[in-house]
Amino acid sequence: MIIMASALPTFTKIAKVIRLNRHGCTNRPFYHIVVQKTKDNQDGPVIEQVGSFDAMPNNKNEKLVALNFERIQYWLSQGAKLSDPVAQLLGLSGFLPNHPRTIIQAWKNRREPPRERKIEAIKGIAPPLDNPKL
Amino acid sequence: MFENGHTQRIDVPRCHVNIAFNGSDKTRIIYMTVAISSKHFIMFGSSGSRVLNVINISYIQSRSKRVWVRKPLGSPMAKSKIFRITPKPVLPEDEKAEIKRLFDNYKNSMKSIRHYFFEQSLKQAESGEVAQMKHRLEDQEHERLMEENRLENEKTAMLREERLKIQAEKTQQNVLASLIKKEGEAKLHEIQIEDFLTKQMSTPFIQAENIEKAIEDALANPVNFNFALDLNGYVYRGKDTSIDTIPEEKRERLNSN
Repeated sequence: MIIMASALPTFTKIAKVIRLNRHGCTNRPFYHIVVQKTKDNQDGPVIEQVGSFDAMPNNKNEKLVALNFERIQYWLSQGAKLSDPVAQLLGLSGFLPNHPRTIIQAWKNRREPPRERKIEAIKGIAPPLDNPKL
Repeated sequence: MFENGHTQRIDVPRCHVNIAFNGSDKTRIIYMTVAISSKHFIMFGSSGSRVLNVINISYIQSRSKRVWVRKPLGSPMAKSKIFRITPKPVLPEDEKAEIKRLFDNYKNSMKSIRHYFFEQSLKQAESGEVAQMKHRLEDQEHERLMEENRLENEKTAMLREERLKIQAEKTQQNVLASLIKKEGEAKLHEIQIEDFLTKQMSTPFIQAENIEKAIEDALANPVNFNFALDLNGYVYRGKDTSIDTIPEEKRERLNSN
């Protein structure tokens, strides 16, 4: 049973985080971008859902991300922290400055040669994958 | 679409649905868990018909995650890991510097952004309807209280004035009385002084002129303070008087002066 976070009383102040909750099925992750208390489990009570992130590229080679900027702004004003992946996504979307990790990953990707792939890369709107990390 | 005795899994984009149908017409237990990403929509179905036959119920497996537990502290290191030396990731200095610079800038910007969002939220809260109404109510309350205070002050001022007036009267009277008393006392005192002085003056002081006369008088009339007492209460004055010399009639009776 999924419990609403507001149903559980907490008297001490626990920090809130905006992070990814893994839903989906085996070998098919799907993330909800969610506001939770730090102490709760990933599949535990959620205060509010604030977006989604599909890690598997679709048949047009897009990874779809949904973000509710108004609510994110509200929660940031209330002192919610961000997890790294969420911060990266927000940086890529333009809402926040680019996370250093994106930049670091980008120059690392440029350095390393591409590795052997078993599966063919999907051709679509996005440019073809010639980089092992992407 | 759904046959009895089936568990069917439907893959809907961005959600998964497990529907279990079971048994005969009498026992129809439908159990659905649906989580759709865009909303908090959680649905639980329950059996419509009465549960008469308990035989045909199938137990639905729970899909809860296996909780990660760390290796017990007392347990030894795995054999494959005992002599493992992990290679330390070496980064060149300029890369480290660049990474540090990036992170410092990012943290700086994030701090300022957070602060900005916070300020914005405060401004919004202030401008909102609820806040305005609250301000209005507060102002009204303030005015009312100030009015009440003013009235109360006036009342107490009136009372205070009356009290002060009465006190002033009293003090005036007191002062007058005391002044009168003091005058009377002063007069009495004067009279007393005069009496005393006259008394003193009347007593025979020995002035410079009277010295010789006084000396001659004193020498001529010596005062003998010696006396003796009898058990019967008779006085015999003089140092050398004996009882036999004075006859019985002329004996003095001792008077306690």
